[in-house]
Amino acid sequence: MDEPPLLEVKGLNKIYDNGFHAVKDVSFSIKPGLLVGLIGPNGCGKSTMMKCINRLHTMSSGEVLIDGENVMESSHSAIARKVANVPAELKVSFGLSVFDTVMTGRYPYVTSLWWESSEDEKIVMDAMERFGIEHFANRQLHMLSSGERQRVLIAKAYVQEPRLMLVDEPTSHLDMKYKLEVMEYLQYMVKKDMTILVAEHDISLMARYCDLCIIMKHGELVTIGDPKKVITPKLIEEVYEVNASVGFDEDGELYVLPKRYRAKH
Amino acid sequence: MYVDMELWGMVAVIVLLTTFLVIRIRKAEKKEGQLRSITSRKRRLVAVIIVGSLSLLVVFLASIANGAGMYDTSISETFSYIFSAIAKGGTGLTMDERIVYHHLLPKALGAMAVGIGLATAGVLFQAVIRNPLVDPYITGVSSGAGFAAIWGMIFGSWFGFMSGSVFMIPIMAIIGGLAAFGATMLIAEKSGGTAVNYVLGGVIVGFALGAMQTLLLSFAPPDGLQRPLFWLFGSFSRVTWDNVAIIILPVLIMAAVSLTWARKLNLVLLGEDQARQMGMNVRKFNITVLIAASMLTAICVAFVGIIGFVGLVVPHICRMILGGDHRFVLPASFVIGGILMLFADFLARAFGPVLPVGAITALIGAPLFAYLLIKKGRMYDG
Repeated sequence: MDEPPLLEVKGLNKIYDNGFHAVKDVSFSIKPGLLVGLIGPNGCGKSTMMKCINRLHTMSSGEVLIDGENVMESSHSAIARKVANVPAELKVSFGLSVFDTVMTGRYPYVTSLWWESSEDEKIVMDAMERFGIEHFANRQLHMLSSGERQRVLIAKAYVQEPRLMLVDEPTSHLDMKYKLEVMEYLQYMVKKDMTILVAEHDISLMARYCDLCIIMKHGELVTIGDPKKVITPKLIEEVYEVNASVGFDEDGELYVLPKRYRAKH
Repeated sequence: MYVDMELWGMVAVIVLLTTFLVIRIRKAEKKEGQLRSITSRKRRLVAVIIVGSLSLLVVFLASIANGAGMYDTSISETFSYIFSAIAKGGTGLTMDERIVYHHLLPKALGAMAVGIGLATAGVLFQAVIRNPLVDPYITGVSSGAGFAAIWGMIFGSWFGFMSGSVFMIPIMAIIGGLAAFGATMLIAEKSGGTAVNYVLGGVIVGFALGAMQTLLLSFAPPDGLQRPLFWLFGSFSRVTWDNVAIIILPVLIMAAVSLTWARKLNLVLLGEDQARQMGMNVRKFNITVLIAASMLTAICVAFVGIIGFVGLVVPHICRMILGGDHRFVLPASFVIGGILMLFADFLARAFGPVLPVGAITALIGAPLFAYLLIKKGRMYDG
């Protein structure tokens, strides 16, 4: 039990230039090898917090430690070898192929000026096979479906060989099958000793796959814990202002059924 | 205009060589499967470089050989004139050597350099701004250069600066172009400094200077309009041995430098956040590239005027043929930019009166671009 935390966030605050206080005094720590769900309504500070973790945003105060190292004291390329990020969607492709795109994930490691090494190539090939995209390696990104494109983005983050992967709403525009597929891929990577922080709106899906969930509201941390214990009708009402049933099916899986929106009067 | 058998022979050799290389590459790739992607990329790039530089050389010689429309020599004669003139050090030349060496060679070199320069600037701008509609004039360089050059032609230089020198107009144009880019950069940085801010800043500066250009033209004496208008459409007639080095050297240096950015350019295509999270200093890179590409554009524009379309269309043609990897797009753009410009210059001179090159590049480029867009335009969706 003395395993040091992989990610430690201490008193994190982010205040934007316009005065908006997006993340308020958030602290938590996560052990390695967990799939962690980040849940909360739109605008609750999930994305902002993730951007503070890999220093895309400068935090206003507080500390983020990855493997005990303070990100504010690390170089951007050192962070890039530890933290990867999967965007919700990639719009313009400008003719980059799947192979080209996955290969960009090796950027933090490549030292030569022009071509990547055969070792980089092997890593990329393995990842493409793992995520089932090797048969369209030479196809251009715009020719793929959104589910396929999401797999390319995950493969790109995977070849970055991070300790921590930040995934922002990976399934928001996918159908049921692809949602499950993406989550299975994330779960597979966690087994490889990677920790994944995934922001997502589908609470049932999070409860099904995540080892831990972090609930946020208005920039504050509401609670952190085992999703099957933490997620209750009361919590959902508190966080989302929505009446919902929370039940368990015969396999013991949790599901959330939103019923009615309760506006504050 | 006269096209000899030698030229057709060379074109046939290039076509055969290309076919041979394509078949060999296909065969090798089929045998290896997809497991050796980088090897096959290297092979493809070598093929692109071989075919590309041969084609560029042939078009270059053909453009000189077909001279000024009234003076024709074969390609091998041209080749020998160039060599003998260089061997003599440019003095004591025969009539033929003199025309080729003093008149045609610097113009062809200038055209090639401007083609390479504008195409390179186009690739850089499109990648950094991530917008397929962007051309090298997006940051207001052409309007600034145009305004300054036309001012010079109508009113003479500012405070008698370099007055009477052959470099007066080009230097004024470079200063005007860079000043316009400076204004764009100021507006863009004050408004957030993103790529889109640069586009909008460039549009504002371009409009303002364009309007001032129009006002200047209306002050021009009636017989003084032809020169400014000709300048605005672009022409290589002012390129000589005295100034061609000032075009070629910066272009070659910038082109070489841009090659070192190839992998970073791929990365910025994925978006600013994606590039940053992979450890790249995107802000610094973008500004460096924008400044470099604007200077490149200013130098091209200063000596030959505003030649449109090359910088817009060449990067697209390369991307549509070879894919989006900048390790292919950049070298291919050098070649196709050079070829398109030489060919346009040749056409501009081929029919008696010298026509504006800028109009010819657009006439050649538009149908080619339309065809490729219909075939492969989907890569810019969304």
